[in-house]
Amino acid sequence: MLSPQEKKDKVIRSTDIDALSCRSSANRLSYFVPPDSYTDVLIQSYQKYLQYCQGYTGLSSGRTLRQSFGDKKFPLINRGTYFRTRAIDVVIEQFIKEFPQSQIVSLGGGSDTRAYRILNKHQLVNYYEIDFPESVKIKKLAILQSDEIKKIIDFKEKLSVNINNREEFDLMDGNIHTSKYHLIAYDLRDLKDDPTQFNQKLEGFDVNLPTLVLSECVLCYMNPAENTNVLKFWKDFCKEYVSVFIYEPMSLHDAFGTTMAKNLADRGINLLTFNEYSDLQEKSKYLHETCGFQRVRLTDLSEIAGYGIKKNNHKESWVDVQEIYRINHIELIDEVEEIRLLLQHYCLCYAEYSESNKKLVGIDRWNWLESVE
Amino acid sequence: MDLDTDVPMEDVEEQQLSKSKLSDSKSTSNTTSSTTNNNASGSNPSNLHDDLSLGTINQLDEWIDKLSKCEPLSEADVKRLCDMAIEVLQFEENVQPVHVPVTICGDVHGQFHDLIELFKIGGPCPDTNYLFMGDYVDRGYYSVETVSYLVCMKVRYPNRITILRGNHESRQITQVYGFYDECLRKYGSATVWKLFTDLFDYFPITALVDNKVFCLHGGLSPMIETIDQVRELNRIQEVPHEGPMCDLLWSDPDDRGGWGISPRGAGFTFGQDISEQFNHTNDLSLIARAHQLVMEGFSWSHQESVVTIFSAPNYCYRCGNQAAIMEVDEQHNRQFLQYDPSVRPGEPTVTRKTPDYFL
Repeated sequence: MLSPQEKKDKVIRSTDIDALSCRSSANRLSYFVPPDSYTDVLIQSYQKYLQYCQGYTGLSSGRTLRQSFGDKKFPLINRGTYFRTRAIDVVIEQFIKEFPQSQIVSLGGGSDTRAYRILNKHQLVNYYEIDFPESVKIKKLAILQSDEIKKIIDFKEKLSVNINNREEFDLMDGNIHTSKYHLIAYDLRDLKDDPTQFNQKLEGFDVNLPTLVLSECVLCYMNPAENTNVLKFWKDFCKEYVSVFIYEPMSLHDAFGTTMAKNLADRGINLLTFNEYSDLQEKSKYLHETCGFQRVRLTDLSEIAGYGIKKNNHKESWVDVQEIYRINHIELIDEVEEIRLLLQHYCLCYAEYSESNKKLVGIDRWNWLESVE
Repeated sequence: MDLDTDVPMEDVEEQQLSKSKLSDSKSTSNTTSSTTNNNASGSNPSNLHDDLSLGTINQLDEWIDKLSKCEPLSEADVKRLCDMAIEVLQFEENVQPVHVPVTICGDVHGQFHDLIELFKIGGPCPDTNYLFMGDYVDRGYYSVETVSYLVCMKVRYPNRITILRGNHESRQITQVYGFYDECLRKYGSATVWKLFTDLFDYFPITALVDNKVFCLHGGLSPMIETIDQVRELNRIQEVPHEGPMCDLLWSDPDDRGGWGISPRGAGFTFGQDISEQFNHTNDLSLIARAHQLVMEGFSWSHQESVVTIFSAPNYCYRCGNQAAIMEVDEQHNRQFLQYDPSVRPGEPTVTRKTPDYFL
C-alpha cells in the first residue's frame, strides 16, 4: 500500500504523462515544425516500464496510458501546448544567442524532449535535467533505445540495460553524465535538508558560467517554502549570472481558477502556490522581494498566443503573424473566450540575478505585462 | 385550427390530444407561409401534431422517460426517432415563427444534467414553451442523450419547442469536438452519428419571436440585410465553410464597428452599427443569439440591441461560468434566469475524466 505522501507523489509524476500526451497530440497534428522526432521514444519507454513504477501494475499502467494517449485532445489544448513550447523556446534561443557557452538546468522536465532539440543545435551548451528517480529512469531507458539521442548527448558508454521486473527497475541507476548532458535523479524538495548533497550530484557544473534554470509546471507542485528553497539555491549557487524561467498556472482568484483547483484536486493534484501567488503582480513581488531576483518579467499565455489585449505595439510579437495564421488554421477553434480564459491562467515569469552585471538584453524584445528592474 | 391564447397550456395540449384522437384520419394540410399571422399557435403547422397516433405518443413518452434517466436509446429507436423528426422539421421554415410566451436558451453542449436543471428552472415542457438556439452536442459527456432528448421533445410537442441549428450541429465540427467519438463509444459504430448529422440538415437556422426578436445561433452576415433574404436560403445541407448560412451560425458581435475577421476562422464579427441597422431595417427590437461563453450566462452588447445567452453552466466542466435562459412573456417583458451546474446525484464525479489542463 502506498502512503498518502507516496500517492500524492505518484499523481505528481503522472502529470508528466499528461504533458507528454499533449505534446504527442500537437506533434501528430503538425503543430511543430520541424516535428518532434523524440517524443515517440519516450512514449515507448512509458509503455514498457510504467508498470514497474511505484503504484502501478501491468494492468493499471496500460489503462493509464490508454486513457492519456487514446483520447483526442481538444484544439485549445493542442494550441496551448504549441504556444507554451514556442514561447519557452524563443527565450531559451535568445539566452543561448547572447551566452553561447552556458548551462541550462531543467527542473522536473520529465519526458520533455527540449534538451535534445537544443543540444542538436547548440554545441557549447551543457544541459542538466533533474527529476524524481523514477522519471529519470524512464527517460534513461528511452535514451538507451535511441541512437539518435545518444549521438546528440554524446553518450559513448556501451551499455545494454535489461529491465524485466520491478526489482531490476528499482536497482537501476537512472543518472547519466556525458560531456554535455546530465540526467540527475533527485527530489528537489530535499534541498531544504542538505544542499551540499545536491551540489555533488551536479557533475561538471561550472558556477561561473551563465545558467538558465527552467521550471515548466514543476514548482507549482511544491509548497511556498520549497519554492523559495529551490529558487534561492540557484541564485546563491550561480552568483556570476543566473536566469530563471518559470511556466505555471495561477488562480487569478476567479471562477475559472476556482474550478481548476477543484478539478485538479479531484484528481489528487494540489497546486500549492496557485492561490498564494495568484496573479502576475503577486508573482512578480515574490520573485523580486522574497527571492531577490532582478529584472523580473512576466506575461500570460493568452497574450503570447494573441488572445490578450495588446498594450505595446512597438514590441515584437512572440509568434509572428504568418506562424499564428498557420497555427490558427490547423484546427478550428470553436470558442475563443474559453481558450483565452484557459491561457490567461498560465504565466511565464523570467527573472535573473548577477553579481557581475550580466544581463539578457534581448528579453525586452517582447512585450511583458509586468516588469520590475 | 386557431387556438385561444388564453387557454392554459396544459389544456391546449389536452385539447390537441383529444382532437387527434377524434381525427386520426384527418389529412395534413401544412401551410408553411403563415408568417404574417400573429395569432398564437395558429401560425405553426400544428396540424402535424394531430398526426401523432396514440401509439406514437406512447412510444415517444417511453423514450422521453428513458432519456430522462440519461439512458441512450437503441440504434433502431434513434433511426425511428430521426425519421419522425425529419417529418416535422422539413416543414419548418428558415425563419421559424415563434410566439410569446417563450423561454429562449443558448448552448447546451452535451451537459445533460444541466439541461434537466434548465427545465427545472424554466418549468417543464410543454407547460413552458422553449426555443433552443443550437449547440446541443460536443464537448460535454452526454451529447447523445442530450440531442436525443431534445429531438424527442420536438417530435412530441412540435409547437411547444423550437430547436435551431448551431455551428456544432455539423458533420465536420462533431468529428473534432466529441459527438462523433461519443457515438462510436456508446454504439460501437458511426451509424447514430450519421443519423443525427443527417437530421441536423433539417433544423431551422433562425426563429422570429412575434416578429420582434430575431433568434439564431451565431450572428449576422454581410450578405444578409433583411430577414426575407434568410427565407430564401437553401438550408437543407451541411453547414458551409463560408457564405450567409455559415455566418448566421458562426458570427459574433464585437466592440469594433463594421465587419471584422473572426478569430474563430469562420463567420465575421459585427459592430453596433451593423446590429442597429439590421434591427431598424427589419423592425426588430432585439437579436438573441448564443454561441459565446459568457461568465454570467447572459450578456448584453451593442446597447441592448444584441443579447448573448449561454445555457451550459461550468462549460466543459472547466470554465466556472453561470448559465442563463431568457423568458419573454406575453407583454414582451424579458427576464433572465441564471443557474449553476446541477449537483449530479446519479453521476459520481470520480469516474468522470478531469478536463484537460496543461500540467
